[in-house]
Amino acid sequence: VIAVHADNLTRDDGPVDAPSFASAILNILDDSALETARLADTQRAILNILDDSALETARLADTQRAILNILEDVAGETARLEDTQRAVLNILEDSAQETAQLAETQRAMLNILEDVDVERKKVEQAKAAAEAVSADLSRQTQELARSNRDLEQFAYVASHDLQEPLRMVSSFTELLGRRYKGKLDAEADEFIGFAVDAAARMGSMINDLLAYARLGSGERQVGSVNCRSVLAQVLVNLEAVIEENRAQVTSDSLPTLTANETELTQLLQNLVSNAIKFRTERPPVVHVSAARVGAEWRFAVRDSGIGIAPEHMDRIFVIFQRLNPRDRYSGTGIGLAICKKIVERHGGRIWVESTCGGGSTFFFTIPEREDATR
Amino acid sequence: MTQGVEHAPVEILLVEDNAGDVRLTREALREGRVVCNLNVVVDGEAALAFLRHEGPYASAPVPELILLDLNLPRKDGREVLAEIKEDPTLKRIPVVVLTTSNAEPDILQAYNLHVNCYITKPAKLDEFLSVVKSIDDFWLALVKLPPKVRP
Repeated sequence: VIAVHADNLTRDDGPVDAPSFASAILNILDDSALETARLADTQRAILNILDDSALETARLADTQRAILNILEDVAGETARLEDTQRAVLNILEDSAQETAQLAETQRAMLNILEDVDVERKKVEQAKAAAEAVSADLSRQTQELARSNRDLEQFAYVASHDLQEPLRMVSSFTELLGRRYKGKLDAEADEFIGFAVDAAARMGSMINDLLAYARLGSGERQVGSVNCRSVLAQVLVNLEAVIEENRAQVTSDSLPTLTANETELTQLLQNLVSNAIKFRTERPPVVHVSAARVGAEWRFAVRDSGIGIAPEHMDRIFVIFQRLNPRDRYSGTGIGLAICKKIVERHGGRIWVESTCGGGSTFFFTIPEREDATR
Repeated sequence: MTQGVEHAPVEILLVEDNAGDVRLTREALREGRVVCNLNVVVDGEAALAFLRHEGPYASAPVPELILLDLNLPRKDGREVLAEIKEDPTLKRIPVVVLTTSNAEPDILQAYNLHVNCYITKPAKLDEFLSVVKSIDDFWLALVKLPPKVRP
């Protein structure tokens, strides 16, 4: 400003008036002092402002730190919250799964209950069916008991009431024959002969029928039976027949099994005696064997006899069925029917394998029982 | 009774309803060596009347042997046997049961009622004849019987 004033003093107006000049300089100096004071004020003010600003900045920084701390804390909290939330979610998820499983279990249980109900109904039906069968069985048992009684009654009738008149017929025809043979004519002798033969045959048939009917009635004991001893007994019983026919009877080792000994003896005796009886001209050769097949023993009685044609193989087991003329092979035709009955009473089967003229093999099976001792 | 015969014929009571068996028994006894008189009644009541000399049998002889069938009309042979063996006098007369039955209960019952022997009638003529002859030989010739006392 002085420079301007000085410049103004020197150049513009040429020669300068001194008093005005001095006042002008004083004015200028005043102005400049004022200006300087104002400048100092302004400077102070600026310094104050700057001071204030520094304080503000410091406070701001504090606030900022505090906020940052808070933010940091908030972040921590958030993370924890998230963890918790995740945990809760997991729990919820697990719970949902549990619920689903529970529902499934419940469904399964309902199914089971339904099944149980169905099963119960089935059981009830089965029970009703079983009761019906049992009632049926009881009826059949009663029926069987009745038929057994009938059979026993029949056996008694056959043994006593039928034999009584037959005994009279045979006794008096025989007495007639004895007293008057040769005293009447030849025809009379022939007629008496027929009557005597027929009465004797009828007597045998009644006895055989009785033996057949008695099989299956009354008490029947089953025990351990040694088949080797049974066969030995059979050979003793048939000694005369074996000698008479010069028969050869052999056997393999035979088992011990559970059976009725009397019946088994009769069975083997009938088969061996048939094997000898239905012989060819050559002396009979008979072989008895037994083999274990599954849960049963299979016996075989093999002979060298006349054999049986295939068409007759079933017929031979029927009571009083005969294949051969009476004058060549005696007997009523009961033997194999009795064999069949005995085998069936033991729960087995009987059959024959044979060729006409090539001998026969009679097979029968006896199921092995648990209580059999060997 | 003719002179020279040492013994009167042996009196036998046959209780039998079958005329055929009566005749066969008579035939068999005829062939036997003991001379006997066969008295025949056809039912159990008549048998006891005969033994007790009742009614038509007032003058009936006391038999030395009784042949008794079991299955009889009116009164069964078992009842007749029981009554005979309960009677103090009649019980001494030997009773032979001669029947077609060979059933064990019948045999047992007869011996329980004190029968002297039990014989099953054989089916064959020859055997029947020989059985009757055996009875004849044993009971009328071999065995010593108690003295005859009229009841």
